[in-house]
Amino acid sequence: MSSVVLRNLTKSFGAVEVIKGIDLTVEPGEFCVFVGPSGCGKSTLLRLIAGLEDASSGRIEIAGQDVTDAEPSARGIAMVFQNYALYPHLTVRENIGFGLSLARRPKAEIRARVEAAAEALQLSHLLDRKPKELSGGQRQRVAIGRAIVRDPKVFLFDEPLSNLDAALRAQMRIELSDLHRKLGATMIYVTHDQVEAMTMADKIVVLNAGRIEQIGSPMELYDRPASPFVAGFIGSPKMNLYEGRAVGEPCGTYGIRPEHLRLTGDAPRWRGRVRHVERLGADTVIHLDVPTLGAMVLRSEGDHSPAIGAEVGVSPLPGREHRFP
Amino acid sequence: MATRRPSPYPYWFVLPAAVVFVTLFLVPTVASFWFSLTRWDLFEAEFIGLDNYRQFFREPFLVQGLVNTLIYAVVTSGAKSVLGLLLAVLLTSGIWFQGFLRSVVFFPVLVSTIGVGIAFAALMHPTRGAINLALATIGIEGPAWLSDPALALYSVALIDIWKGVGLATLIYIAGLAAISPDYYEAARIDGATRWQQFWRVTVPLVRPATVTVVTLSLIGGLRSFDIIWATTRGGPGFASDVLASVIYKQYQAGFYGLSTAGNVILFLLIAAIVLPMTWWFSKREVDL
Amino acid sequence: MSLRRDAARRRLIGILSLLVATVIFILPFLYIVLMAVKTPQEAALFLFSWPAQWRAWQNLVEVVQTRNYMLLLAYFNSTVITVGAVTLLVIFGAMVGYVLQRRRSRWNRVIYVFLLIGLMVPPAVVPTIWVLQNLGLFKTIHGMILIQVAYGLSFAVLLYRSFIASIPRSLDEAAIIDGARPWQVFFRVILPLLKPVTVTLIVVQAVAIFNDFTNPLYYLPGRENVTVQITLFNFQSQFQSQYNLLFMNILLITIPPLLVFVFFNRQIVAGMTAGGVKG
Repeated sequence: MSSVVLRNLTKSFGAVEVIKGIDLTVEPGEFCVFVGPSGCGKSTLLRLIAGLEDASSGRIEIAGQDVTDAEPSARGIAMVFQNYALYPHLTVRENIGFGLSLARRPKAEIRARVEAAAEALQLSHLLDRKPKELSGGQRQRVAIGRAIVRDPKVFLFDEPLSNLDAALRAQMRIELSDLHRKLGATMIYVTHDQVEAMTMADKIVVLNAGRIEQIGSPMELYDRPASPFVAGFIGSPKMNLYEGRAVGEPCGTYGIRPEHLRLTGDAPRWRGRVRHVERLGADTVIHLDVPTLGAMVLRSEGDHSPAIGAEVGVSPLPGREHRFP
Repeated sequence: MATRRPSPYPYWFVLPAAVVFVTLFLVPTVASFWFSLTRWDLFEAEFIGLDNYRQFFREPFLVQGLVNTLIYAVVTSGAKSVLGLLLAVLLTSGIWFQGFLRSVVFFPVLVSTIGVGIAFAALMHPTRGAINLALATIGIEGPAWLSDPALALYSVALIDIWKGVGLATLIYIAGLAAISPDYYEAARIDGATRWQQFWRVTVPLVRPATVTVVTLSLIGGLRSFDIIWATTRGGPGFASDVLASVIYKQYQAGFYGLSTAGNVILFLLIAAIVLPMTWWFSKREVDL
Repeated sequence: MSLRRDAARRRLIGILSLLVATVIFILPFLYIVLMAVKTPQEAALFLFSWPAQWRAWQNLVEVVQTRNYMLLLAYFNSTVITVGAVTLLVIFGAMVGYVLQRRRSRWNRVIYVFLLIGLMVPPAVVPTIWVLQNLGLFKTIHGMILIQVAYGLSFAVLLYRSFIASIPRSLDEAAIIDGARPWQVFFRVILPLLKPVTVTLIVVQAVAIFNDFTNPLYYLPGRENVTVQITLFNFQSQFQSQYNLLFMNILLITIPPLLVFVFFNRQIVAGMTAGGVKG
């Protein structure tokens, strides 16, 4: 178990500064998720830690050692790529054992370690197949197997689930969380999907335009977002955000999550007209047009079917409102 | 500070190839500009200014070689492009024997040019050749093909077209395959006839292939040597001499400076034709 | 109804095309075969006729024995040149194409221009001989191999470069993280993945180098250095009265490309079109 420490890390491509001074500590054994919209620098940050990009300035420490200038293979990391990056001409066995064979480990040792990793991932029966003969989920497991067999200090994941369909993605989320518990290793995971971040992370790092917007546990980010950006990014459907002045609040931006609004006939704070209703069964998402505010989204448990065009009253749950400067 | 670690794509990968390419191709090419200004016997080069070029443009048969080169390149390249496109359309229209016909048209591309030249020299014999004997049976008196000074160059060009049209056809077939059938269906719904489909859909959309075919065959035509050497050796007289055969003849005769001047002229000719053409094609590409 | 008429039309045009193609493209090859098996007297008539007397085997033996088995020597030399040059072209071409595609730098434009020059510009003959002489490579087989490498390199590099663009960079990165050195990334991961385009390159370049006449004519004079295409040229004067042998020779040197064509038709087509479109 090893920590990862970034100190004032920057990265520029030509004149464009992509990473603008990042300070971050990932604790040993932590599952840390970098999340943010595309282009926020999260993948670049991961590649800096992996050593696939050179830092422009700053320092990277893994397990207390400065690895800023070290070769990727000397950093004690393993990486799982978005497209899995399995070697198409090698079998599953050769794919998992490639790094060990490069390091000229004895054949018997390679065999034993590959088979142990395959066993842990239920890949034993697939060892002699080529990647193109595997399903998406199986390829994903081979990629993870290739990481495990290196016995790394830190696992790096670059959007590893984005090529899978929704059902498989949900299953792999659980498998990855199990894996983390079993290995107890430090893991850094990049995604643009806030559901993955919320469900797997011990710690979420929200990135925006090359800077850290907020660091915290999933519930901290949900309950106490530091900025409208984080508030809008975490949670689904998105938080309703309005100018403070428009809602009569003494703040810059006022926010209220859809699930923290209630339909009420009794002295409602706002009145709006129903524009659209999404009935999901377990809950209902209602889109309203509110005069002077514009669109407002409300989520309510259970099944409702207000008539389109009907006027309804809405109030926020007390204590659940967010006010940003 | 920026490159602290060596790139995983080191430049020494380029080195072996670069050494061979620079020594055996670039150095001679650059040196040719100097040697074309000298009287040269491979050991000593005496600077004589533009004398070689002056001589080149004073000798009528050398000038004719230059003109012949242009005629030959334009004729072969034009014919290969037009016939190649027509053959490609025919061989993608789903006719019987289509696969076999494609192979038949393409196979001459792979055959020894010298062999083809010798065979056609026999077939084109004025009195005993199979071509003229066949023409005689339908009452046509065949020309003297390779031994008629007025015709020799075109006869060689004909053989070149026979041998090379398969490559043009192949490139056009690939180009046609890249055109989405949607365009033809839309055109048919708009009421276009087959003829209109060919001119309004096929010809404009197959343009990238046309650029390739024209460029390749033009360069090939300008550099053409072995087919001419195998059939006429530039004759009769100098009637079918082109720059490449002039270069060889001057080399054989020991006029190394003059031969190299011919090389430089060929270089400049190709640059003067192909560069503006590529530029023009790529400009049109943007307009589309 | 219109479908049936269409099918009839396709059949009719197909049969007509086959007839025309037979006359234009197949008869010349038949002519070569017929000439090759005739007696010297009959061949000298140039007629397109069935041989009165078949002498296939005898002609074959005579051609092979001519000038102290020159044709066998030529086959040997051509094979050495072709195999040597194609091997180097594959390795050099792939290495350059790989670095050129993967590494973005201002040198790329310069290299690209040189590649295009190599593709278009005819080699400067006599200065090349001068360079070869100074390096002691003139009239040598390995000099000829290097010449073929220099002249074929542009095509090889451009072909590889466009293919390598389709190999995801994350494969290189996975190998780097697995601890591969740059040459290991190339030889153990990238090169094996280039197999389809390598087969294409081998086939196309092998045919081109085997059929090359001009370059051996200039750079490889001398009896002991003869190549197959030069044998035709040499025999042309010697066989003035023995056209049957000349055509047997043509037949013999056409066999390797024919075999290649039969077995690698698909790769040739892929290479010619890819190379053409990229070039």
